[in-house]
Amino acid sequence: MKFNLLKQLLFLGIMLSGSIIFAQTVTGTVTGDEGPLPGVNVIEKGTTNGVTTDFDGNYSIDLASSDAVLVFSFIGFTSQEQAVNGRSVINVQLAVDAQALDEVVVIGYGQTTVKDATGSVSAVKSEDFNKGVIASPEQLIQGKTAGVQISNSSGEPGAGIALRIRGTTSVRSNNNPLFVVDGVPLSGEASSAEGSDIGFGTSGAKNPLSFLNPNDIESISVLKDASSTAIYGSRGANGVVIITTKTGKGSQGGLFEYSAALSFAKAADTYDLLGKDQFLAGLNQFGLDATANDFGSNTDWQEVVLRSTVSHDQNISYSNNYGDGSIRATFGYAQQEGIIEKSSLERLTGRVNANHRFLDDKLKLTAQLSISQTKDESPPLSGSAGSKGDLLGSAYSANPTWPNDPTFNLEGNRNPINFLTYTQNESETDRQLLNFSAEYDFTTELTAKVNVGYDHSNSTREALASSLIDNAESGTSGNGAGFINDIEVSNKLLEFTLNYSKEFENSKLDALVGYSFQDFQREGRNVEGWGFTSENMNQMASDITAAANEAQARIDGSYQQYGYGPNLPNGFINRLFPNETNDLNYTNATVRSLVGNTFDFTDELQSFFGRVNYTIADKYLFTATVRADGSSKFGSDNQYGYFPSGAFAWKINEEDFTGDTFSTLKLRLSYGITGNQDGLGFGNFVRRERYADPSISDGGDVNPPGLTSVSFANDKLKWEETTSYGFGIDFGFANDRLKGTIDFYNKQTTDLLIKTVSAQPAPQPTVFENIDATVLNQGVEFSLDYDFIQSDDLTWNANFNIAYNENELQDFDGAISAGTIRGPGLSLAFSQILAGGHPLFSYFLRQFEGYDANGQGIFTGGVDNQTFVGKSALPEVTAGLSTSVSYKNWDVSLYFAGQFGHYVYNNTANAFFTAGNFGTARNVIPSVLTSGESTSAEASVSTRFLESADFIRLQNATIGYQVPLKEDGVIKSLRLTLTGQNLFIITDYTGLDPEVSTNPDNAGLLNDLPTAGIDYTSFPKPRTFTFGLNMTF
Amino acid sequence: MKREQNNLKFYGLLIVFAVLMYSCTDLEIEQSDSIIPEDTGGGFSGVADPASSIGDLYNSFYSNLESQENLNAVNVVTTDEQLIPTRGADWGDNGIWRQLHQHSWTPAHLFILRTWNDWNQNAFRASEIIETSSTTVAEAAEAKWQRALSMYHVMDVFGVVPFRGVDEGPEIDPIVLTRTEALDFILADLNDAIAGLPSRAAGAEAYTASKEVAKFLLAKVLLNKHIYNGSGSADNADMLQVMTLVDEIAAQGFALEAGYFDLFATAPDSESIWTIKSSIGNRIWNGMHYKMTAPDQSGGWNGFSTLAEFYDLFEGDANTNYVGDGQEERRGWVPDAGNADNTTNFGIGFGFLIGQQYDETGAALTDRQGNPLTLKKQFPGIVGNDETTGIRIIKYHPINGEFNQHQIAFRYSDAHLMKAEALWRSGGDPTVLVNELRTLRGAQPITSVTEQDLIDERGRELYIEQWRRNDLIRFGQYTKDWEFKLPAAVGDETKNLMPIPASALLSNPNLVQNPGY
Repeated sequence: MKFNLLKQLLFLGIMLSGSIIFAQTVTGTVTGDEGPLPGVNVIEKGTTNGVTTDFDGNYSIDLASSDAVLVFSFIGFTSQEQAVNGRSVINVQLAVDAQALDEVVVIGYGQTTVKDATGSVSAVKSEDFNKGVIASPEQLIQGKTAGVQISNSSGEPGAGIALRIRGTTSVRSNNNPLFVVDGVPLSGEASSAEGSDIGFGTSGAKNPLSFLNPNDIESISVLKDASSTAIYGSRGANGVVIITTKTGKGSQGGLFEYSAALSFAKAADTYDLLGKDQFLAGLNQFGLDATANDFGSNTDWQEVVLRSTVSHDQNISYSNNYGDGSIRATFGYAQQEGIIEKSSLERLTGRVNANHRFLDDKLKLTAQLSISQTKDESPPLSGSAGSKGDLLGSAYSANPTWPNDPTFNLEGNRNPINFLTYTQNESETDRQLLNFSAEYDFTTELTAKVNVGYDHSNSTREALASSLIDNAESGTSGNGAGFINDIEVSNKLLEFTLNYSKEFENSKLDALVGYSFQDFQREGRNVEGWGFTSENMNQMASDITAAANEAQARIDGSYQQYGYGPNLPNGFINRLFPNETNDLNYTNATVRSLVGNTFDFTDELQSFFGRVNYTIADKYLFTATVRADGSSKFGSDNQYGYFPSGAFAWKINEEDFTGDTFSTLKLRLSYGITGNQDGLGFGNFVRRERYADPSISDGGDVNPPGLTSVSFANDKLKWEETTSYGFGIDFGFANDRLKGTIDFYNKQTTDLLIKTVSAQPAPQPTVFENIDATVLNQGVEFSLDYDFIQSDDLTWNANFNIAYNENELQDFDGAISAGTIRGPGLSLAFSQILAGGHPLFSYFLRQFEGYDANGQGIFTGGVDNQTFVGKSALPEVTAGLSTSVSYKNWDVSLYFAGQFGHYVYNNTANAFFTAGNFGTARNVIPSVLTSGESTSAEASVSTRFLESADFIRLQNATIGYQVPLKEDGVIKSLRLTLTGQNLFIITDYTGLDPEVSTNPDNAGLLNDLPTAGIDYTSFPKPRTFTFGLNMTF
Repeated sequence: MKREQNNLKFYGLLIVFAVLMYSCTDLEIEQSDSIIPEDTGGGFSGVADPASSIGDLYNSFYSNLESQENLNAVNVVTTDEQLIPTRGADWGDNGIWRQLHQHSWTPAHLFILRTWNDWNQNAFRASEIIETSSTTVAEAAEAKWQRALSMYHVMDVFGVVPFRGVDEGPEIDPIVLTRTEALDFILADLNDAIAGLPSRAAGAEAYTASKEVAKFLLAKVLLNKHIYNGSGSADNADMLQVMTLVDEIAAQGFALEAGYFDLFATAPDSESIWTIKSSIGNRIWNGMHYKMTAPDQSGGWNGFSTLAEFYDLFEGDANTNYVGDGQEERRGWVPDAGNADNTTNFGIGFGFLIGQQYDETGAALTDRQGNPLTLKKQFPGIVGNDETTGIRIIKYHPINGEFNQHQIAFRYSDAHLMKAEALWRSGGDPTVLVNELRTLRGAQPITSVTEQDLIDERGRELYIEQWRRNDLIRFGQYTKDWEFKLPAAVGDETKNLMPIPASALLSNPNLVQNPGY
């Protein structure tokens, strides 16, 4: 406010003095769409006489001649000329130059423009983001960018997401790109705990990005090729996604913005299961005892566990550009309900982005502070549920004549409502991401910047099953079981960069050097309790927490683990560094058995990097980068990896010989080496000992673990490297009204970091090694943008992108099974093998040929003959089409997404929709009754359940209306929208949704290989309608 | 003023820059939640706490031996005493059980791989303890027994035994001991262990090693020595030593004990030489039907069954096993409406379950389709079964507690039969010894003992105690024909060894695949 006043006084002074001395003066106000524009250049044409507008957009200029023409120009806006013609007041409104704004893309440690970019970079601005219910930032750009595949693995709010840029490069579980939020590279590890097994299997961690409020995001840049990601060195191999949050820059004079959304959702699709009558008739048809299996009710179990939901999202922000700086403060609250009972996501976010310039704009201080609290509630779903299934599995297979009654118990079966009622799984994650930077211009050429980032999160997950649960595993029934998983993650970043940029006569140099240090600390505890006196799950949660805290309080000195049980009434303490020796001597009547285990480790990354951009004649652009990354995950011989890249771009349209045909024609060549070390884990290069993980037996006994080697230490471990080549052409016609990009790339990942089978004898069955094999990804990306109609009242544009990727593992001798299939009679079954000469996630199955006369399956080469079937879970083609039309105050936009060439294993059908299952009086879909399969047939893993997953989806449709308002009203703008998400899907897939991937937790993975393309009782995707309101005032 | 401020900021930045440079790190990880032995440059520097590592290795044994998969599957499901038929969609499990019973396993079989990994890993961990300078003599003896047991299982199942020095990292391909070399290695470890381990009398808690435990394993190895070294016939000196070892075990109070099914409860007895500290739930429930009474709802899995021909080894009515059907004690009995109760049996029988089954109130059970739960002797095939086919075996009984940590690994009656066999193999007459056991178990004495009587007696006494494969191979009967074994596998002597797992072969070029695979 102080600066504001000062400026106005100063301006008043200038005005007064001006009017006294000169006679011919023009004054006025320059405005943009959102109000006054400060800093606009106002120049008397043909002279050097000029002024700039003040904070309120006012200017005053003394003219040299009476027939002067004034030129108003401002970056990002179309320049305007006004002949004075004797006027003394000239007010001007400048139009936004959309093309100019689009051009800016944020890249690593800087920004550039699309026209000057040498690498393959796509930026999506907030106005192009997907609308509707957005739980996490990456959903904002789903389908917007060629070669970027973003799959929601399930319809669960806050579920993990798979984001693949130019294919899948890693054979480990880490294929997500590096996320950089306002300059802070985030850790690739989850910030919340995975779901523990409270009696029905485990589940993967939640989405680590859901702490960000999508409404705070200004733009998302996707760096696809090595020339642009190599500046992030060892973390660039999977691509880099740079998220930039909104600032107050564009809001002169203070602007409030309020947005609200109200959403209604229900399952987009459900299974057509047998009803009571069909079910009983079917039993008779198969010669089974219908009377014995008729329990009298008629329950639609899907209706019991699914629900229609109402969610809402509110955001209020204040932003202000006061000249020497700007500020934006926001507060958001979102409450998203999942379409399965007991699933929800509640998020509270607050953010302040502020920057201020000091010392004649030479020093710029920036702070970006965000805090968030996320509460997740998860239903009893698991990616690793066994024969009885999880909540959905049991709902699909439950006898429809069972009553909807949690006390109904039939031995050996799982009653969905019992299961739902007596389990609880809630987590709360508090996260702060704080970032401060100071930037100082030593000269106009030399700038230094210091950046300090702190990312801290604290997460607690409580998973409980009460003793009233029936037919659960692990001795949970009758006793109750519970887990507390606490994780505290602290990442610190220190960064220093120096930037030198200088324009020469016919060329331009832009150089950057930097140093960065980042550490990643993870600490926490896993507590397991068994045998609860209380049946109330909230009470159980507080009992186990109290018992664990009390036990910990009794321990003097440091410890790794502790516990007690009926067989161990005095308890035990395991200390790694015994500085004290007291005994636990603790039991707690409310929790009969308890074990707690702690962890605390820190990884470090230290980097030196540099980049040179050199432009000749604005036609030939050269970029070279190098980064040296040192990681504490490797032994001293291999700690540092060096990641260079180079790129060249040629703006052919700037050449005289191209004439005016092209408005853009740019050729790009790039090469680079990037690295990857994610998923390697802590300290695998050195022999370490820890106490083994404690557990509680099914009967409640606790056997204290002893010391053992953590891993098979490999001091030869080194960086996994990806070498990429790229070639691209950007083109545009008619002032880029039609524009497009085509890119070819080849990525070869070598020295693969993989857990292979140890050459026994060894301390562990597997060892991390760099194996001499290659993962090849090569493909082509194409995008096209066309403005069909550009007029004042009516506009219509469309954007189409499509990408093809080919993936193959080469020079690999092994054959590692992966893709666990689960369900009754499917223990230890798998569907994929990782082998040389095949894409990752290649299916390895029995070839199903039909049924014989006895209704038994026939398989090529016999019942146990599994072979490669030439199909993979990885899509070959991904495509997106968006189009928008605006007419006066109305606008409509549609976005279609498609993926092709890949296959999904319908594990749900394999596990539940077979005659064999019907033979055990479990419910099925109608086709099972007519398939010709016998109830005594085995439903082995075969091509019978492998289905094409090609689909086209209308992902998003939005109708918007800009409410016309009076010029001087309190409300400056008001926009109403109606958005539909997941409106329809065209696919031959017989499951609920082909865009699916069921993920167990890491321990549930077969041979530590990630899963893809397995549909096992996935959380159904919702169809959502959202009413949105956005106003500024 | 402004100038000064400017300078101030400039120096400020310089200071920050200096701090940053000092923050340059050597990237060394901290010893925060694990012990990182100091790198003395000499490679392996010992385990931090030998006693604790020994304890954890026991935990590893317990979980390896508790599982119904892996070693248990290799030793039990590949024989005539057990099969897991595929029942409708249930128990298909990608064919993993069928392949074992049919003798159609391949080097890719998961249980075979895990058996290889588990026991080789155990051997390596024992070596680490043995090679630690702070290990006491008694601890080293215990670790040598642990290594001998681990290498014994590898040698017994796979023939060759790889060996890795404790300071050899992943870049070293372990050497491979032939079966004879491995045998010598194991015998040496066992002799050291016997010398250094304390004695433990019968009746005491038996979760860990003792002189007697090591002697039992030595007797077992010696009894099989002619198989392992390929000599083909037992050496009299070895047989004499087996008998001596058994007598030495008996001298500590171990003896045959009456009350067959009481041995599998938790009360102390004179037969248990080594018991493992892990839940017996897997042993109880693998064959029980889903609807059989499970007090805490853990419940049956309705999988594991036995062949009719194995059931027929026992005296008694061939088709029913209710009280009074003329059976000997070890075949057990099935409660019926008259004697099923909630205090002594939950309606669940002991031993071999055949015919109509009852719940704890004496009501006849049905399967999940509503048919009477009448367990049948015959199978329509190894696939295509319903829920009722197959006789089930239960030795540990839920009435004694479902999750007791008391699974017998080494038992005196096995030692007793080893002594009888050693006597027979060295030309003596074991009839008295065999009848001593048979009389105690309520079976008719036999007049003279043949080779077949010996293997059958071992089957009747030790069924599903993980010795059947070892016994059949020693008696040359592992390759005989039984129901559902593939014809091609009958008489195929290469089946006496399991294949080296495919991924193990890839991991170590020194390994050569066993013949026949």
